[in-house]
Amino acid sequence: MRLRETSLIAGREVREALRSRWFAAAAVSFLLLALALSWLGLAGAQRSGLAGFDRTTAALLNLTLLFVPLVALSLGGLGVAGELEDGSLALLLSHPVTRTEVYLGKYLGMVASMGASIVAGFGAAGLVVGVLSGGGQVRPFLELVGLSLLLAAASLSLGTLISVMTRSRARAVGAAFAAWLALVYLCDLGAIGLAVARNLSPGQVFALSLGNPVEQARVLGTLALTNRPEVLGPAGLFGADHFGPQGLTLLLVFALVAWSLGPLIAGWSIFRKAVVS
Amino acid sequence: MIEVRNLLVDLGERRVIDGLSFSVKQGEAVALVGPNGSGKTSVLRCLLGLLPYRGQITIGGHDAWREPVAARTLVGYLPQRSAFGDATADEALRFIARLRRLDPSRTVAALARVGLAAHAHERTRTFSGGMQQRLALAAALLSDPPVLFFDEPTASLDRAGQQTFLLLAEELRREGRTLVLASHRAEEIDRLADRVLTLDSGRLSAQHDVLAGVVPLFGQVALQGGPR
Repeated sequence: MRLRETSLIAGREVREALRSRWFAAAAVSFLLLALALSWLGLAGAQRSGLAGFDRTTAALLNLTLLFVPLVALSLGGLGVAGELEDGSLALLLSHPVTRTEVYLGKYLGMVASMGASIVAGFGAAGLVVGVLSGGGQVRPFLELVGLSLLLAAASLSLGTLISVMTRSRARAVGAAFAAWLALVYLCDLGAIGLAVARNLSPGQVFALSLGNPVEQARVLGTLALTNRPEVLGPAGLFGADHFGPQGLTLLLVFALVAWSLGPLIAGWSIFRKAVVS
Repeated sequence: MIEVRNLLVDLGERRVIDGLSFSVKQGEAVALVGPNGSGKTSVLRCLLGLLPYRGQITIGGHDAWREPVAARTLVGYLPQRSAFGDATADEALRFIARLRRLDPSRTVAALARVGLAAHAHERTRTFSGGMQQRLALAAALLSDPPVLFFDEPTASLDRAGQQTFLLLAEELRREGRTLVLASHRAEEIDRLADRVLTLDSGRLSAQHDVLAGVVPLFGQVALQGGPR
């Protein structure tokens, strides 16, 4: 695999994303929502006396957990399927590049596009709050940006796998939306139901959380904001007791990295021998 | 220049190509003909490594699957249907030039050759089918490749566009390039090909030289008027 060719394809992917109306709309929406939440958080802080950064960061965590997987799964879902459908992938692969370079280049380009959008959104929000509030912890805010980027990478990886498997825009978008519903809502409901029905131990509930990147990001964000794992309930206490707060953070970061790599590698194993028409 | 040995392709339960073998000499032009579903396009896709296959394909001595970069460096491909995303014509060609490690300034001459110089900074999504095809030809010729693969190149063109394309393609033939052409148009084959391979259900059913004014097509002889 050659770095130069992979970078060229990643750059092409970034240009395509910047030209995409729906991605631009999503990025602008994220920016506006982040600004709105920051302003509202600051207004509440001025009434209650809490530092602006802390309140804003908590609100932004919820925005991240909903918005980032939705956009990233959709972007990843369209990545390969869209080009397969319109024939541009066959044209690209007719040139002297390998399938690995194309696959990885497209993924890295999408990560860069999402990263730019996240940094712009959080950067604008952080600037507003930092200038107007003058107080609060900056570190949790930066940790929130970091975990948003990790969550985006994991969601893009899953979206890319969906893209390779579905091979058409319509199916990819549908499957990506279904995956988002599952990760954001259904997994939580399923875990609660299972915990009640099977009387699961806190350790078992904690283990279930490792199967959902959105849940991992939620726990990481909560730890960054409060540093009080008891806020997460018995499962959070289990994790903190067994691994320590720093160990728990490290474990969840590794889990998100695994979610970024696992589906990506699975998708590559399909893509390298796929029919390209 | 091109060697194909015992090519086998299965798509699901269906055998698309069944034990096909042929070779193409340097400078020769071979047309793949046959009814829809006979495997013409599938053969081209195998040559480009777009379809997994069993058997052996070499282009300029390089294995098409195991050495894709070396093999495709020699090839320019004109598909039946082209797409360049949201790029302008110039951006699309510049990307290909960088990918092929060429001087990006070559795009100017490439666009001029296919009559698209005036549309260099327009979005390719706004192009007509004929313009897209001409841009694809410019992309295929950008690196001055010795081997060309054309897949039904005039299928989306009107009569005038077909004639313009055929004149350009004849010029490329005179330059001594090796050509593999998938087509079912008699005029195209007559003007461009030296030899015709007739495919039927993924197998080679017949092989003929193209004689001036006589194009063997699907095993039947069709008389064409005018000199070659």
